[in-house]
Amino acid sequence: MPKVKMPRSTPALDMTPMVDLAFLLVTFFMLTSSFRAPEPIILDPPSSTTEQQIPKQVFLIMIDEDGRAFVDVTNAAVKSKVLKKMMSQFKTGGLSEEDINKFAGVGPIGLRMAEIPTFMELESTERTAYEQRGVPYDTAAANIKNSELYYWAYFTKIEAHNDYKQREEEAKLRNMEFDKSNYIQFAIKAASNAKWDKIQYIIDVFREAKVKEFQMITGLESAPES
Amino acid sequence: MAEIQQNSGGGDGKKRAKKQSTRVDMTPLVDLAFLLLTFFVLTSTFSKPKVLRMIFPEKLEKDNPNVKPPEIKDGLTILLTANDNIFYYQGALNKETEIIRTDYTKNGLRKLLVEKNAPLIEKLKKLQIELADVKEGDTANRNRIERQAKDEQMQSKLVVLVKHDKDATYENVIDVVDEFLITQVAKYFVVDPGLDPIETAKIQEQLND
Repeated sequence: MPKVKMPRSTPALDMTPMVDLAFLLVTFFMLTSSFRAPEPIILDPPSSTTEQQIPKQVFLIMIDEDGRAFVDVTNAAVKSKVLKKMMSQFKTGGLSEEDINKFAGVGPIGLRMAEIPTFMELESTERTAYEQRGVPYDTAAANIKNSELYYWAYFTKIEAHNDYKQREEEAKLRNMEFDKSNYIQFAIKAASNAKWDKIQYIIDVFREAKVKEFQMITGLESAPES
Repeated sequence: MAEIQQNSGGGDGKKRAKKQSTRVDMTPLVDLAFLLLTFFVLTSTFSKPKVLRMIFPEKLEKDNPNVKPPEIKDGLTILLTANDNIFYYQGALNKETEIIRTDYTKNGLRKLLVEKNAPLIEKLKKLQIELADVKEGDTANRNRIERQAKDEQMQSKLVVLVKHDKDATYENVIDVVDEFLITQVAKYFVVDPGLDPIETAKIQEQLND
């Protein structure tokens, strides 16, 4: 019996469709993904059935189990301005213009104002290891308005308003449509097992700064059928 | 895997243009593409988190004796305590008030709220059906129905107070507020002071049983 001869040519596979698909997926993921800023704490928020999207711009308040508060502003320009105001309020020196701009990119911060210059000197890898003890606040009625957390809220509120007005004017000047819903809102992200008491304290500090509306960040949960 | 066609040698001596393969070796390209693909799949965060809106009233002046926290005579009060325990009672608090224990499940808190809020749910359902019949582009009618729905919510008789002790967690509060959203409770307040001594005593009784 004659042997079945295997064809000599190398087994070639037409990979073009596969490459097409792979690149399509790569492009899709590249365009849709947004990178998370490094966070000093990892929180597991509870879930809810709301379908309201998180606002485009937020003043984020992160509260962990122990009641430490971390703050962040997603708008870099506003964040730098707020930091400058904080520096003059608490007489913090030692930050260059470059540091202030860099500060906007470091993500949520849970430090006393006095610590920030040393923190900014660190390399980015060292920063993640730095133990942040939370923005200080005091809920005693007499001191509430002296705490750093209060001023973060207060200055952000002012700067957010200025930013909104500025963008509105710019839009008017250029005769463009202005998105009225795009303003900095206050959002709270807290750990599920954090005590509500502690969160209430922090909310109280914000209420003192005349912030009344909060967006509670939650995970997604499917709504029950009626 | 570049494919090189092996020439079977010059047969008749004529000079021919070399038949070169136009295929390109795509293996490295595929490798790279899949590497990138894996990277983006693993790093991307797909679902953006959702938000639950909460509004807190302006602070009451604690030093001012004339300003008292609002008292609700015929409201429903929900009490949140440690270990995800949840209790409720109807109306004003006194020694005879019966505090009832419930839970966060569908048959617990949600059933209770649906029962209490039945009139409003009924009305809103009717409006929803009406809204479905409105033709597209008929904004006047649409606005009218939406306004009516808001009015109904404003006039709702059910008022719910949420009280908590120091051991209640953030999740408890979010769960309860979420339950309000599901059952269309329009008027609810998360109040800040802790529990009344009567409430604490009655809860303790319940827990000891």
